[in-house]
Amino acid sequence: MSEVDMAVIKPEMMKSYIWLQTADGSIQQVEQEVAMFCPMICHEVIQKGMGSSKNYAISLPQRVNPAMLSLILDYCRFHQVPGRSNKERKSFDEKFIRMDTKRLCELTSAADSLQLKPLVDLTSRALARIIEGKSPEEIREIFHLPDDLTEEEKLEPLKNTTDDPRIRLLNRLYAKKRKELKERQKLKNIEVEEERVDDRSVDDLLSFINGDNGDSKGIKNSKSKKKNRRRKDQQKTTSANEAIKNHNKEPNGLNQVCHSAEVGQKVRAGVGATSNLHDVEDNIFDNKNELDDGDIDDEIDPALKEKIDRYCSYELRKSSKLTVSNEVTMEVEDFARRLNSDWPERMQEILSFGHERKPVHFSLNGNGSLRRYANSEQR
Amino acid sequence: MDDVMSRDLISDLPQSIIESILTRLPIRDAVRTSILSSKWRYKWATLTQLVFDEKCVILSNDRCKVEDGLVNFITRTLFLHQGPIHKFQLTTTHLQCCPDIDQWLLFLSRNDIKELVLELGEGEWFRVPSCLFNCKKLTRLDLFRCEFDPPPSFKGFLCLKSLNLHQVLVSPEAIESLISGCPLLESLALSYFDSLALTIRAPNLKFLCLEGEFKDICLENTPLLVAMSVAMYMTDDIAEHFEQSSTCNFTRFLGGVPRLERLIGHIYFTKFLSIGDDVGRLPITYAHLKVVELNQVSFEDMKEILVVLRLITNSPNLRELQISGSSNTLAAIDAPDLDFWEDECPSNCTFKQLRVVRMTDMSGVPHEMEFIKFLLANSPALETMSISPCVYVMDGRLNMLIELLRFRRASAQAEILFIQD
Repeated sequence: MSEVDMAVIKPEMMKSYIWLQTADGSIQQVEQEVAMFCPMICHEVIQKGMGSSKNYAISLPQRVNPAMLSLILDYCRFHQVPGRSNKERKSFDEKFIRMDTKRLCELTSAADSLQLKPLVDLTSRALARIIEGKSPEEIREIFHLPDDLTEEEKLEPLKNTTDDPRIRLLNRLYAKKRKELKERQKLKNIEVEEERVDDRSVDDLLSFINGDNGDSKGIKNSKSKKKNRRRKDQQKTTSANEAIKNHNKEPNGLNQVCHSAEVGQKVRAGVGATSNLHDVEDNIFDNKNELDDGDIDDEIDPALKEKIDRYCSYELRKSSKLTVSNEVTMEVEDFARRLNSDWPERMQEILSFGHERKPVHFSLNGNGSLRRYANSEQR
Repeated sequence: MDDVMSRDLISDLPQSIIESILTRLPIRDAVRTSILSSKWRYKWATLTQLVFDEKCVILSNDRCKVEDGLVNFITRTLFLHQGPIHKFQLTTTHLQCCPDIDQWLLFLSRNDIKELVLELGEGEWFRVPSCLFNCKKLTRLDLFRCEFDPPPSFKGFLCLKSLNLHQVLVSPEAIESLISGCPLLESLALSYFDSLALTIRAPNLKFLCLEGEFKDICLENTPLLVAMSVAMYMTDDIAEHFEQSSTCNFTRFLGGVPRLERLIGHIYFTKFLSIGDDVGRLPITYAHLKVVELNQVSFEDMKEILVVLRLITNSPNLRELQISGSSNTLAAIDAPDLDFWEDECPSNCTFKQLRVVRMTDMSGVPHEMEFIKFLLANSPALETMSISPCVYVMDGRLNMLIELLRFRRASAQAEILFIQD
């Protein structure tokens, strides 16, 4: 550049300067060759003839404050000298980039507004190095990012831009389920005091079993099957777990984006939340129109429920006097099918020897579902 | 931790800077930024460069798990991505012939893919689906361990600038027509082909890199070639083919590259060039050729020596020369044709620009020493001549040194460095 040559030959006072004004109003003059290293300043000088005097100082973009300007000018001052080796430039860059994160971000922004691409690349690389390998909490802390995603947003699928109605439905159901879970939690705590004792004896109950055997089974099945599917998912039983296992294989982008690389597929907010989501999915495929959740009445502990199913399902199912929670019926069928068990024989066996067994105390709570006490399960 | 006063440092930077940062992160970290905060949820989704490699995978001993994990990750990333994808790179040993790759390629072909790099594992080679040939905007294609079979209607990639095929199963006609069908092709690399006979017609080609067993190569139309690197392996039938061939390989290969600046040859390259009848004076001058590196030159084969001489005497601007030998010391006590150097050798050629010469793997055979003597006598601008003896030669080193001392040097500032390992 002939300008540079002339600057070398001429005495110091004849060096040409460019006037720059930052957003806060302060004006300074900078050696021409240094300032011209920035494309934006270069453009202003050449195309618009600005910067030659104090009155015509080039106004720099707002993102360039005086501190950043001085850093940028240091960078330009070093790099505009043509004779430097690549090694020298690299080691200068390494030292230059050592600053706190806040200044690094400001510098990136300022360099970008002045279109100084090499400096933008350098700072981007430095910022990428900072982010790489850190956990989200660490990154949020470094950059002061607000943690304003809710738990389910972190798990949820990223929304489709087309805003698929199925996704909206899913989200709505999910929110509902969460609410229900919370309510049930509260109810469970209250319910401990509310146990009601059934005044019928074991014999009475058993007599029901020994009455009608198989006819109503089939009919009840078809009617209650659909509703029971829904009840099924509220219990964290093996059925729900199996459903989860099956649904894990589905290629849903749902809560897997952030963890999908983790082969183990760890679910973050606990199995409960996820399983509900999956089962909600299940429900959609079964009951497109049934959204009312009026049947939530069940507070039975799942383990307990299994036991009940085993011993009393037959009786419950056929009885019209008890307002049965039908999911129990479904439970048994599924359970039986799954276990491939010969439960009718076993049932007969148990029931015929019913008197000789240890007394099993049954109680009916207000809704008609059976509940058995045993000391260890009392809550 | 976060007080009300501390402002978000980074989320409001322009999207171009955010992309610049995210592109420099491994893809997993980039995708994970979606859970940082509400502003960051979709910042990664518009990245135009997606690079998947071994870092995306959680290592475990279960191979299936690793494979599934990688496939799932890539599928979901593509599914959630928004906007065009300009670069897609997949480098992994965990996937070979996997049906998901076909679907990814189909997706990419609909998203303006420009650079595609597929480097897959050993095992059954992946067969490239036909949707690849619909990627009209492709500028770079790198395939490793694939089967490549263009449909008959395929005319070429009109925008392709860089082609790299490594261990790719493809018929020679297909390669030739592919190269001819890419008018903008500037960089071509073909490696590990078996017995390939190839004619290259690429008017814009600048960089050529060949490695493998080539039966025959002819650079028919490559006027702009700037740099080439060739490593030729020899098998018995190729050698036989060479015995019987009479066409001059030197002109077929180097006859049409006047702009050449760098030439690097490995293994049997010099031998390949030496095949064929001597045409006498070469009609072409390599006015831009500055760096020549020829490895495994056998100084017992007079024809190979002639090739080297012809090359360097037609390169007036040669600055750097590196030659490595491959002679068998035991056989070379008594070399024929030694009078060549006195009688027939071109005596009026001067290497005016030659500055640096490196001779490696020297066994001290007579022809090697004569060649060094020739260079020293005709290089007035020489600065460094470094000689490294072959590791197997222990006794002959002293003799080599004694001879070296006697050689006349045309350049007063030439340093001779004898490099012992």
